[in-house]
Amino acid sequence: MILALFPLLRFGFGVLSIAWGRGRRALLVMSHLVDGALIGLLAATFRGGRELTFVAGGWERGLGIALVGDRIGLTFAALAWGLGVAVSLYTWNRNLRSYFYMLLHLLVGACYALVFTKDLFNAYVIFELLTLTSFLLVAYERRPGQIWASLRYLFLASLGMGIFLLGVAVTYYHVGSLDLDLIAAHVAAGPEAGWIALASALLVSGVAVKAGVFSFALWLPSAHSLAMPAVSALLSGLVIKMGVVELFRLSDAFPLDLPLVVLGVLTCSLGILYAVASSNVKRLLAFHTISQIGYLLIGFGSGTLAARLGALDYAVAHGLFKALLFLAVGDAARAVGTTDIRDLTARRADIPIASKIALLIGVLGIVGMPPFAGFAAKAVLEAGLHSTVVHALVGLTSVGTVISFSKLIPLLTLDGPRSLDRLRLAAYAWLGGSVLFFLPLSRTMIPQSIWSCCWSGWAFFEALGAILLGLLLYRVLRHVRLRLPQRIFRIEEGVLVILGGFLLVFLLLRLRG
Amino acid sequence: MPINGVTISILLFGIALLGLVLRRDLVIKLLALGLVNASTILCLVSLRARPDGAAPILGAPGESVMVDPLPHAMVLSAIVINFAILALSLVFVMLLVERYHTGDSQQIERETSKEEEP
Repeated sequence: MILALFPLLRFGFGVLSIAWGRGRRALLVMSHLVDGALIGLLAATFRGGRELTFVAGGWERGLGIALVGDRIGLTFAALAWGLGVAVSLYTWNRNLRSYFYMLLHLLVGACYALVFTKDLFNAYVIFELLTLTSFLLVAYERRPGQIWASLRYLFLASLGMGIFLLGVAVTYYHVGSLDLDLIAAHVAAGPEAGWIALASALLVSGVAVKAGVFSFALWLPSAHSLAMPAVSALLSGLVIKMGVVELFRLSDAFPLDLPLVVLGVLTCSLGILYAVASSNVKRLLAFHTISQIGYLLIGFGSGTLAARLGALDYAVAHGLFKALLFLAVGDAARAVGTTDIRDLTARRADIPIASKIALLIGVLGIVGMPPFAGFAAKAVLEAGLHSTVVHALVGLTSVGTVISFSKLIPLLTLDGPRSLDRLRLAAYAWLGGSVLFFLPLSRTMIPQSIWSCCWSGWAFFEALGAILLGLLLYRVLRHVRLRLPQRIFRIEEGVLVILGGFLLVFLLLRLRG
Repeated sequence: MPINGVTISILLFGIALLGLVLRRDLVIKLLALGLVNASTILCLVSLRARPDGAAPILGAPGESVMVDPLPHAMVLSAIVINFAILALSLVFVMLLVERYHTGDSQQIERETSKEEEP
């Protein structure tokens, strides 16, 4: 019951904040307090060692919509809550309309609903709700560029959801249920059946559009870079992760290891290439979101429990430091009035010092500096990889991350205005603290048996080596200009590459079976 | 190939994709998007259809074989969602057309990329 309360209360708060616009901030505070209490309550039942299961409407499992409160659901609900708090603090003094707060409540509520659901059609409905709310949030300021970016997002996401629904239809035809646990049992009983390749290719392609996988999610760079900083933080930190959680749940039920690893490698390498080539700081962050999703797919696809849990852990870590980076960069861009890296560097004295510190913490997190967030999660992920080739590719991507973030190093000087809004400082401290002290936080998700065998001196040296190599390569390569095709980000090409990606996944699944 | 709901829905899906890729007018693209959704809905309904089944009402007299009611419930939600998406995106298309006086996607792409920073 408590599981259904999470989204329902949020939706209630969303409606209330439109109806009672003057009290929108009081409602926001109240909703965060209530959610914090609910998350605490859920964590307490885990201490008792049991998982919650709730089937809506009192039906039996397999007929009704099943909500399962497992460790993964709890962790991502906590992420949604934490990012919600950070964004509320950040936007507190900006005097936004109550319409923004309603969308914020709806977005967080939809995330709560998605992390707990085990029902495919319910997931479809929630994804559409996420699409609509993020569509409106991207275009909140009504700049034409934002409107066009969110319209492109809506076209591609809606097509993706159509593909997902076809997958749901095929699955339902063969299994007769939409419950992922029952589907998993059915697939395990007859893994050779011909429909599995078709159904899982359709489902994966649909979710991949929402999850920021390269070739599926080419709407992402412009939507995430043109939105307001607070919205970009939510989209990149949270909404993308919802697709990732669903991919994780799907990879539990269907045999998806090969396509996920291939898509992961593609996503990693192409995302990094575009990130290195981009000279706009928000676009650079957006491409990094794509490349880091590649890590997660590789982790999900490589089959071992350590890699899968490490990937989920990395998803949480990425949510935290990417949100911090977007907020800090947003402040810097507002202070200077541009998002171009060269102009920012030229006028770096105008950037508030607090934003620079937040930026530094975020960069340390994302490049995997021990012992901060990126390192802690990546060590667990890499300990679970058995293939040396894939491991080397992951290492190369880390080097690429360092190369592209080296562009921001000249920004980090110790001058600049000292005054900054207190609440915005609180938002930085909230996110920055969780990036710095991520190691103890991630213990809640990873069992002791896996945790103890992940730590060796090797992981430490590998992380430091990647950082040094990246800095060195940046010194060598910084005058090289990389020209990459930009046509693929238009709607027409976006549709074609989604179809191409679907065919690739389908062929890989047929090849394997 | 038999002519039934599933094959027709696949055909419609293909036509809709062609519309999305080849036509540059945004309103026609939206129509194509509507067709994508309509064809998935048709597929969902017709996969488990049984022409000999009765309406799924508990306690109805006579017939013993009933139609599976779950796809119908799903289709209802899907129709409502797609209506919301089409209505919202029409508003946004309207905003763009008012600003640029064209509904051509590539022209809007050029205009917006001129205004935003590269």
